[in-house]
Amino acid sequence: MTVMSQDDSAPTQNSIDLLAQKLGQATWENIRNARVRAQEMRIQYTGALEGLDTDDTSIVVFGSLARDEATEQSDVDWTLLIDGMADPKHMDAAFTIQQKLDEKKAKAPGKEGTFGNLSFSHEILHWIGGEDDSNINTTRRILLLLESKPLGKSAAWERVRNNILHRYVTEDHGLWVPKKERGVPLFLLNDIARYWRTMVVDFAYKQRTRNNKGYALRNIKLGLSRKLIYASGMLACLRCHLDISDKDWSKSSRDNPQALIDNLRTTFDMTPLEIFADTLIRVEYHHLLPESKKLFDAYDKFLGLLQGQNMRKHLDELSIHAMDSDTEYIQAQTIRREFGDALLKIFLGQDSDLRDLTIQYGVF
Amino acid sequence: MPRLAGFSTGALAFADFSGALAIMQGINEITCVEFSALRHGELLPLLKAVPELQKHSRIAKYGYISIHAPSNFDAEQEGEIVTLLLAHTPKHWPIVLHPDTIHDFLAWQKFGEQLAIENMDRRKTTGRTAEELDSIFEKLPKARLCLDIGHARQVDTTMTEAYKILKKHSDRICQLHVSEVNSASRHDPLSASAIRAFQEVAWMIPEKIPAIIESNLAALPAGNARAQAIQDEIDHVQTALTPLEKPAIPA
Repeated sequence: MTVMSQDDSAPTQNSIDLLAQKLGQATWENIRNARVRAQEMRIQYTGALEGLDTDDTSIVVFGSLARDEATEQSDVDWTLLIDGMADPKHMDAAFTIQQKLDEKKAKAPGKEGTFGNLSFSHEILHWIGGEDDSNINTTRRILLLLESKPLGKSAAWERVRNNILHRYVTEDHGLWVPKKERGVPLFLLNDIARYWRTMVVDFAYKQRTRNNKGYALRNIKLGLSRKLIYASGMLACLRCHLDISDKDWSKSSRDNPQALIDNLRTTFDMTPLEIFADTLIRVEYHHLLPESKKLFDAYDKFLGLLQGQNMRKHLDELSIHAMDSDTEYIQAQTIRREFGDALLKIFLGQDSDLRDLTIQYGVF
Repeated sequence: MPRLAGFSTGALAFADFSGALAIMQGINEITCVEFSALRHGELLPLLKAVPELQKHSRIAKYGYISIHAPSNFDAEQEGEIVTLLLAHTPKHWPIVLHPDTIHDFLAWQKFGEQLAIENMDRRKTTGRTAEELDSIFEKLPKARLCLDIGHARQVDTTMTEAYKILKKHSDRICQLHVSEVNSASRHDPLSASAIRAFQEVAWMIPEKIPAIIESNLAALPAGNARAQAIQDEIDHVQTALTPLEKPAIPA
């Protein structure tokens, strides 16, 4: 486990840079700029919020800030994650966090109530499935794995993530019985898929309840950043099958699940884009390099689009009736399609090593 | 033959190694011991007593003996502690040391394989994880490891960090510290949850590695209840260090 320092933000070379180098001509300036901006913002907010967390609590950010995809218009989706003694002062800390973020002119979280308040490890960890696992609870749990970063003290965040993974891995009966040579954590993959489907259904819900307002921007985000989260989660699960050595698989069991937890934890420590780059850069995926380039080219254009304040505003305010003839929207849809096509070929192309696994584990 | 198991003297009698030895004397299941000198002032009296202890066979029954160096000292005291330990500690007794106490790594390099670095609890800022231990062993390349399995569980209750430490540093391990480390980082007797958690990585810990119990029983009054508590804790530790399921390939 990487016990994260207060400053995890040095702009060191990551798997995306390495993939760009491997592809030669790729630069992906927008991706790089977004990463630098996200890291700078996290440093700034970490400093502003110093002293508001403890060993039992972590201030956690989600969304573009955690994915290293920040723009000037990014929301600061945060929660005070509590994994320890109940204390009425936690609410005071939460108020102070929002106040400090307001002073920094941070854009407040969305209206759904998922962020901008307290989260409790008990609910996130114990209520997987069943009546109590609300939309908000599922969202918090899955995003803790797929796109979250602590600002400041990380101990509570790390404990909760590790324990979530422990549950998904040890309670996955099919993973261990009968004993297999290797497998994919389906309990986890199914919950990630459930979250994705919930997001897609909620997209339609918001379309109706908001009377189509903001549809165009949400539509583009759904097909790019939201889909990226889901696809990276699926890839993380498939990587258990691909990455863990025969020796470690043979030693693993429901009573000895640490090799799988370690693999998942290491993967989820990366951002969604880094998970793709870290996978696609490998020799065995060399034949997928053209698709990798298309995937990252499309995402780079998407981030470039969001970084332009006018374009973002334009899409946010675009009427649903004017979309089909709107040049900017058509351009954004083209990017979305390019990204989706590249994803399809990476997971399901005839020459992709991921194809069989995707069909076996990702469809039914 | 069961794993060597015994107590840290401080777990049975606070700052009183002689009293702890007396408590352990009649319990056959106690087969190893660690002399605790966690406070600076405990070190000199302990080291002075070592020749006497050896002469009178008070420690003859133990198959493994180690000494725990002070856990808090300044840079000036460090030189004195190193000199004392070098001069008076029997060479076959490992010296357990908290890495966060070290001011001068060069000074501790002199102990070579006799030094056993202990992985730390979550309050500390170093020595908690496999990666943090890496950087310490870079500076103390010959040092061995005292795996505090309770600390490792406190850092990560899924035991994945313990797994990583064992995977990366198993060739360095010379002894274990075993206890339930609570949220205030105090050493309690093992709970059922801790026993279950330790069993998940027990298959990675060779049986030849002795277990030093740090569960605090020092507050118990002398008598049958204390003797029973000591016996129970030894049984719990042996159970906790017995794998639930032997993997197909040995570690």
